[in-house]
Parts: sequence; structure tokens; C-alpha cells
Amino acid sequence: MSLPRLPLTVIGGYLGAGKTTLINRLLREDHGQRVLVMVNDFGAINIDADLLVSADGDTMTLTNGCVCCTMGADLFMAMGDALDRRPRPDHLLIEASGIADPARIATAARAEPDMAYGGIAVVVDALHWGALADDAQIGAQIRGQVAAADLLLISKAEGGVPPALAARLAALSAAPQIDVADCAAVAPLLLGGLAPLQGKRDGGGHPAYVGWSHEGDEAMTRAALAAKLAQAPQALYRIKGLVAAPDSTGWEVQVVGRSIEIKPALDRVARTRLVAIGPQSAIARAQIADWWSQG
Amino acid sequence: MSGITVFQAAKIITMDPNRPTATHVAVRDGHVLAVGDAACADQWGRVRHDNRLAETVLMPGFVEGHSHMSETCFWDYTYVGFHDRVDPDGQPWPGLTEIGAVLARLKDAAVRLGPDEPLIAWGFDPIFLSSARLTRDHLDSVTADRPVVVLFSSGHLMCVNSAALAAVGYDRASNVEGIQRRPDGEPNGELHEMAAMFPVMRRIGMDFRTRSHQRAYVDAFGRICRRSGVTTATDLFAMVTQEGAEALAQATVRPEYPVRIVPAVSTLHSTPEEVRAQMADLRRVNHDKLRFGAVKLMTDGSIQGFSARILWPGYVGGQPNGIWNMPPAQIHATCAMMQQAGIQMHIHTNGDEASTVVLDALSAAARAHPWPGARHVLQHAQMMGPALFARAAELGVCVNLFANHIWYFGDQHAALTIGPDRAARMDACRAALDAGLTMAIHSDAPVTPMGPLFTAWCAVNRLTMSGRTLGAAQRITVPEALYAITMGAARTLKLEAEIGSIETGKRADFVVLAEDPLAIDPVRLKDLPVLGTVIDGHVDAMI
Ligand SMILES: [Zn+2]
Repeated sequence: MSLPRLPLTVIGGYLGAGKTTLINRLLREDHGQRVLVMVNDFGAINIDADLLVSADGDTMTLTNGCVCCTMGADLFMAMGDALDRRPRPDHLLIEASGIADPARIATAARAEPDMAYGGIAVVVDALHWGALADDAQIGAQIRGQVAAADLLLISKAEGGVPPALAARLAALSAAPQIDVADCAAVAPLLLGGLAPLQGKRDGGGHPAYVGWSHEGDEAMTRAALAAKLAQAPQALYRIKGLVAAPDSTGWEVQVVGRSIEIKPALDRVARTRLVAIGPQSAIARAQIADWWSQG
Repeated sequence: MSGITVFQAAKIITMDPNRPTATHVAVRDGHVLAVGDAACADQWGRVRHDNRLAETVLMPGFVEGHSHMSETCFWDYTYVGFHDRVDPDGQPWPGLTEIGAVLARLKDAAVRLGPDEPLIAWGFDPIFLSSARLTRDHLDSVTADRPVVVLFSSGHLMCVNSAALAAVGYDRASNVEGIQRRPDGEPNGELHEMAAMFPVMRRIGMDFRTRSHQRAYVDAFGRICRRSGVTTATDLFAMVTQEGAEALAQATVRPEYPVRIVPAVSTLHSTPEEVRAQMADLRRVNHDKLRFGAVKLMTDGSIQGFSARILWPGYVGGQPNGIWNMPPAQIHATCAMMQQAGIQMHIHTNGDEASTVVLDALSAAARAHPWPGARHVLQHAQMMGPALFARAAELGVCVNLFANHIWYFGDQHAALTIGPDRAARMDACRAALDAGLTMAIHSDAPVTPMGPLFTAWCAVNRLTMSGRTLGAAQRITVPEALYAITMGAARTLKLEAEIGSIETGKRADFVVLAEDPLAIDPVRLKDLPVLGTVIDGHVDAMI
């Protein structure tokens, strides 16, 4: 068996938008994955002492198997280090610096054969984003982050995303807009993989999400698979899994928001297995199942 | 107590206004004991006369205020740039002006590789070539049985052969921005930006993070410095760990190591206490030849890459304004924090908007945390004019201008980036000196080759590659340029009490020249041979 690909999710968003809050939440959640989180600065990362195994200069190891480290001055070389870690982490999460273009980082996951594209989640501060987006000096870069996003995580929306903000964001990006305050857990958004947890807990832990999982004998060509995924219900946040193929090893699939990534599977796929999640408010499990099963 | 050595020279240009020239310099304990004639040190006791340098002209060792030690890592690879370049061992590599010559040099290099070694080349600059674009087919013709990777001089592009594309699985189905394609959809070999280049770099072992501070590379950097007459050089944006700092300290501590290294580190800390603690740890490894203490900040990109932040009317081609590496709010916060922590900053600003924001931030920081001796330095500062220089002067801020740009990129700036009127006032050395600023000029090696006499030549003549004089009004005199590459640069590093001039009490760091730079035609300044250097009184000259 080949070493599994390392999925990379990039968290973008301006200073103070809530990226660190999100990371602190993720590190505490019971998602069952060994996540390696790379941040610019430890300053704001805040781990309860009873969750910490060890903390040295630039690495914190948690009791749940997650590791949080600073990326140093060369982000791409740090990605190489993450790939070389043994055991390889289950997921890599990188916090982009406040003004950075998250796509510049996330593209590496499409390019690197040993990585999988886990998407760009941009945190949008509902109180300040509008002013930042209009700023003469940084507005273009702020709007560019939203345009690059696969998921838009709205923070500080106290009682719902303001319609004017939602409309402005929608004009820049087709990405789903998610009020993080409404999310019972952030791991499904950032890592995917709600379905396996559901089996364990019968879905009780994540009331805001709908999870769908599928196992079957279908084998598809790349073109047929791409066409199928392009028709997936718009509301879905993520789809991931392995799809068998008639004439090759099969496909590894990562869909985040409107982004579809298909890579040849590293080992032969005997059976197609997929999981998907979406918001309970916008989609039902039957709809997802219908989409996949229909012609 | 060690003895006194009196070096005789044809002429000594001291940069000390009290005695601008001399014929002898006496050295004891690595320091200048006296300057004058043959008898200058007689009152100090018995002296030994050293006539090895009697036919040469001595100046204070040159100070390169903006260079990078990573230069030496590139020399592991084959140089295929447009401009002539000299490697650390002194071998000249003539510039290549058409693709056929590039391929011939690559083929030559391929023959000398081990069985599994990739062929890596650097410095390729297609904007100067009129011939067709370099493609995978060209590189396949060099060798098909191993990866071939040609790095472009901008650092943002590479061209690779089919073996390299296969190694990373790039094909017509790859959904990766940055993979350039032929009309038929197959990759043409050109890869743009780090995300697309990184998988290739990872597989051919290109990781420079720690390499440039390893002994062999530190030694090679010393040879580059000695050859260009530099006795103090910066490593401006050193990514260091404490272990790396200790390795660098060991590699530079030997008496014969020919250059003092002044790193400016990149720091990711966000509180004054943390930065102060980090710098205190680094300073602990310091010795005479190694001076940790300053930090480097990056604010915008480059003008030729259209990523510098520039003020109205922007780029002549209508390109969008450039990219902030740090948003202005963070520039303000960081400047305030460093000022509070008492740490000198070297701040990269290319465009005039970035320079303005940085001066705003330094001005606010100066009010919040007064520090008269802060002496922060704006690095490159290529578009600053009299108004911004005046603000810098008010704040006690120094500038280090990128004079080499005038020759290397001046024509492009006039034609493509900011237009002839603003290009003519770029790297405005005259205006900076007229504003009373402490000014250095630099190479930014490896962006352009290290060579302070070349840099001085640029500032004095302002000639471009096409031979035009770009902004005659901003030329400075030869004595002013020589001051900029010695005392001026020493002041930007806060080392002017130790280096930068030849006078009693300073370190005996000299450059050994074949001719008098004040006597030759100023257009010959760049061709003046450097015969070697003297560091702490140790002669290391090729005579
Ligand atoms: Zn530089």
C-alpha cells in the first residue's frame, strides 16, 4: 500500500477575522484525525494544559494526536517536512498570513502528487469585512481572498449573516457561506469526514450537518466522474472518497464547495466509497443519494 | 601583546577627513594603530615593515549592506544567465545571449553528472533573449534520462524537461494553475510560481533553508566577498534556528575567515518580549565576525515583477497595483513593536507607496517609543524622492538604494514598468545625499552579482544596458560613491565605530586595489581590479 496522500486545507482571512479561534476549536474537537496545523505565530494558539503532551520551541503535541507548529520562513519547504513526517499526518491545515493569497498555497496541493486538495476556507469577519474590502490599500487583496475561497466561514455575524454582506460575497464567489456560530463542529468543514464519525456516534454530535456515505460497485471514467461531480447539489460543502474505474487504478476525489479535484488513485480501488456533508438547513440525505444514484 | 606591522601602499584612501590619504598604515592586534608615513607608528615601539602591498592602493574594506548568503547555494548548479558572472572560485561564466548557447552549456554540464543526479541550472533570463521561448523539447534534447530544471532569474518561474514533468505527474489532465501548456494541451515545460514549482524542487533536493549557513557554503561566500573587496556583508533575511546560528558562528570564527557577517533575521514573533528574547539568544553566539541583532521586514514585492506597491499614476501598462507582503496595519504594529523592543529593522520597500507607509509607521513608532539611535533602514527604497527622503531624515532613518538596478533593469523600467520620467529618478542617490541622509548602495546578491565597485559605478554613471544615461541629475561623485560603499553602509549597520574607514582604533579591514579609484576615468570604476582584502590585519590578496 502506498502512503496515503496528505490533504491540505488552507485557512485564509484578514488579521482578527477569527482564524485562530477556528483553529483552537478544531484542535479541541473530537474528530479522530491526526491533524498537523501550521500557523504563523503561536501567540494566539491556546491549548489547555491537560490536552498538551509536550510543547517545545516551535511544536506543540496534543493528547488527541494533533500537532501544532510554526511554519518558519519557508512555507513550501515546511510542507515538504509535513509530507516527510512519519507517521504521515491525516490532514495538514495551514493558516495563511492575514494578507496572503490562500490560493498561492493551496495550489501546491493540486500540484504535489503526494498531497490532496482539501480546499480553501476563508474566514470573513461580518463586522469589518466590508470596510476592509473597500480599503484603498488592501481592498484588492481582501476581495481576492474571497474570490479564491471554496468555503466562506462568516464570523462575528451575531444573529445571521447580513444580507448585504452575503450579496457582496456572492458576487465575488460561488462558495457556500457558512455562519461559523451555527456550526456544532468545525472539523467537518475543514477536514471533511463527518460520515465515519457518524457511524461511531450515530450522527448525534453534529446537528447542523447532514452526512451521506456510499459504497458501491460503480466504475467510472475520469470524464464521467467529473461530469457527475459537476452536477452535485450546490449546497454540499464537501465530498471525498475513492471511485473505481473501468480502465485504471481508480480516482481519488476531493470536492470542496465548487472546487472539484480528481487525482489517479495511488492503489487500485476495488469498491467505490464516498462521503459528503452539507448543511441540514439546505439539503437532505435523500437528495444527495438521488444525485449519486441517478443515471 | 602582538607586534606592530606597518603596511606600505602606493596610496591609502582612508575615508577619514582628518587624513584623507596616506602611504602607510600600522596594525596591531588586528586594529589600526596609526596612519601616515613610514614612521607613523615609531612612537609605539619596534615595528615590522610589510611591503607586499607597496604597489597597491588600499581603501577601507567594502561593506555590502544588502546581500544574501544563499548566493553560494546557486553555484551548486549551472549558471545560464544573460550576464557574465564569476563563481566563488573565481571562474568566469560568460553570459549566454541565445538559447543555443544555453543548451550547449547544459549539455556540457550533463556529461559531468553522476548517474542519478538531476541537471539543475539557474539565472536564466528570457526577457533579454530575442530567440524562441525555452521549452521542454529544448531540454529533452539536452538529456531525456534525468530531470532537467532551469530556474529563471526572477525566482518565480522554471522550465523543466519531460523527465521532470513525469516525476511529478504533470500531464494534460493536471488541474494546476502555473503549468503552462502547448496549444495541444500538453505542458510545455514552463512552470509559474512556487506552488507549481515546489513538487519539482522537493524531488531534486532544493532546500536552501539551512544550507547557506553550512561550512562549505559559508566559506564560498567568503571567497565571493574577498574577490569583490567586501570585508563586511549582510545576510539580509536570514532564516535561522538557534542551531543554525551556532553553526554559522563556528564557520565564521576562524581568524582567516575573510568577512564579517551581519545577518538580519526574519522573525515571526508578535510581542516585544518574544522578539527581544529571540534576539538575545542569537546575540549570544556573536563574535567579531558575526553580528546578529537586526531584523528584516518585507513589505511589498518588486517593480519589475509589478508587485511593488506604487503611488499614482501606477504602472504604465495599467497593471494592477502590487502586493503587500504585510498589510499596512501589520507594518504599523510590527514597527511599533520592534521600536519598543529596541531592535533595528531593515525594511524592504520597493514602491513609493510602501516607502510612504513604512515612514508613516516609523513616525508613529517614534512618537510612541522614542529611540533617537534606532537608525532603521529602508532597503531598496527605489522610488523615494526628495519629500520622502526629507521625512526619513527627520526620523533618523537611513536608506540603502539599489543602484545596480539602474544598469540591469533601467531600460525595462523606462519602457515597461513606471515610464521614463519616474525611471530617471529611481534609486535617487543625489536626492538622498542632498537630504542629509545616511545612504548605502547595494547589489542584493544573488539578484545581481556582488561588487561594490560596480555598484558605485552605477551610482556615479547611471548607465543602462542599452547605454543611455538614466537620470543624469541623480548621479553622485566618485568620492560620494566610495563613501557609500564604506562608511555609508557601515553606518546603516551601526558599525561605523569599528569599520568603514582607515583610522586609529578601527579594525584593520582593507580592500587591496590595483589602481586609485579617484584617479581613473569614472566610467572605468567597475573594471578596477580588486586584488584581495585584509581582515583584522591578515592579508588575503592575490598578488
Ligand atoms: Zn534582498
